[in-house]
Amino acid sequence: MSTGAGSHSVLTGASVIQAVEYNVTRAMNAVTVSRQGHSVERAPEVRAAKRSPMAISGAQPTAGLPGLSALIVAIAERGDRAAFATLFNHFAPRVKSYMLRLGADGQLAEELAQETMLTVWRRADGFDPARAAASTWIFTIARNLRIDAARRGQRMKHDDPFDETIAPDLPDAILSAAQDETRVASAIGQLPLDQARVIREAFFSDKPHSEIAAELGLPLGTVKSRLRLAMARLRGLLGEAA
Amino acid sequence: MTPRRHPISDRLIEYAAGSLNPERRLVVGAHVRVCPACAGEIAIVEAVGGVLIDALPAVEMHEDALALALARIERPAPPRREPAPGIQGWIDAPAAAVESARRRRRWAAPGVWVAPVIGGPYGRRSYLLGIGPGISVPRHTHLGSELVCVLKGAFEDRGEIYGPGDFCESDEDVEHRPRVTHGGDCVCLVAVDASLVARDWLGRIFQPLVRI
Ligand SMILES: [Zn+2]
Repeated sequence: MSTGAGSHSVLTGASVIQAVEYNVTRAMNAVTVSRQGHSVERAPEVRAAKRSPMAISGAQPTAGLPGLSALIVAIAERGDRAAFATLFNHFAPRVKSYMLRLGADGQLAEELAQETMLTVWRRADGFDPARAAASTWIFTIARNLRIDAARRGQRMKHDDPFDETIAPDLPDAILSAAQDETRVASAIGQLPLDQARVIREAFFSDKPHSEIAAELGLPLGTVKSRLRLAMARLRGLLGEAA
Repeated sequence: MTPRRHPISDRLIEYAAGSLNPERRLVVGAHVRVCPACAGEIAIVEAVGGVLIDALPAVEMHEDALALALARIERPAPPRREPAPGIQGWIDAPAAAVESARRRRRWAAPGVWVAPVIGGPYGRRSYLLGIGPGISVPRHTHLGSELVCVLKGAFEDRGEIYGPGDFCESDEDVEHRPRVTHGGDCVCLVAVDASLVARDWLGRIFQPLVRI
């Protein structure tokens, strides 16, 4: 692949993502949202319920590998190219997989995987291992680049992929939970299978929710309510003090 | 100043998973930037996304992919754009898009200005809406839903006060007439799926002027 062709392939392929995004959006909009819940008043107090002891399941292949965060830090601190190569070999094929799942063709998926890893290199100094796991940080970069590619396809203003992700300070309990991949993976592992399935679909399916629902033999509203249940449960597992 | 009115969890999940359209993403993002509670929710969903992407089966990259990547990182990075400074008296919104939109604002009616931010396909759009003290938006309903984040000031809608950073979603079943009652003028970031539908004579005059 010639290096110069990269940005062009992103441009030409963006319409694919745009179409996918439209389908997803249309499906989401078609879903009836609960009438009373449009703006939720959230009680300030944190849930105080005791968390049951977390089962440490080893089901996840690499989640919790502490080395991945250290590799990003090594890039930030000393421009460690070997660390970058290791990260690339692990994440680029998975980012490509993510893009393919969301409807990108092979060339666009490859290009967005490359862009993601280039952004990892250039923005490594902005990675805070106390705030997010390596995989979370790389997921947000990949997600933002995908959104950005879709925007360019719509001739929208190009925004810095980090421009909108500046977040306020987070509660310590959430920080300590969210940056711990093992704990998050374990929490996902504790979800009932039907809830785990809809969570996966929310991230990776390029199908309208109506099709997902049809495949699962479920009403559309059931798919949505499972998603909410799953998130409430993950919040319960992760949002409390460790 | 912490917002009191938040998006429903569906919106936060969609935001974190990346499935919101850009118009809505902007409005939800404006709230999230000033809301630690919602940012925390999103951090959890993003952590789930990280675990899931990590667990995806690896797809073979092009055989020269690593060599290409190692060559690309040697090239000088383009200069980072400095984040645009916030606007005095407004919440810390996604500043670049909002600031450039504000410069394009036009008066739509006495005391009311509009500035388009993103005009997407299928009638979707996001815009800034500035409303002077004591002014009501004409009674209207929507084709599709309307998402609003207050950037400055406050408005009242269906008996609730929405202040800086607060988020409000109305679907097409809602017919409403938001009013700016408190103190100074109010500026909102709004995303709609389609045009609003005016419900009274004032609205029918207002609608073509605003073109929203
Ligand atoms: Zn909030």
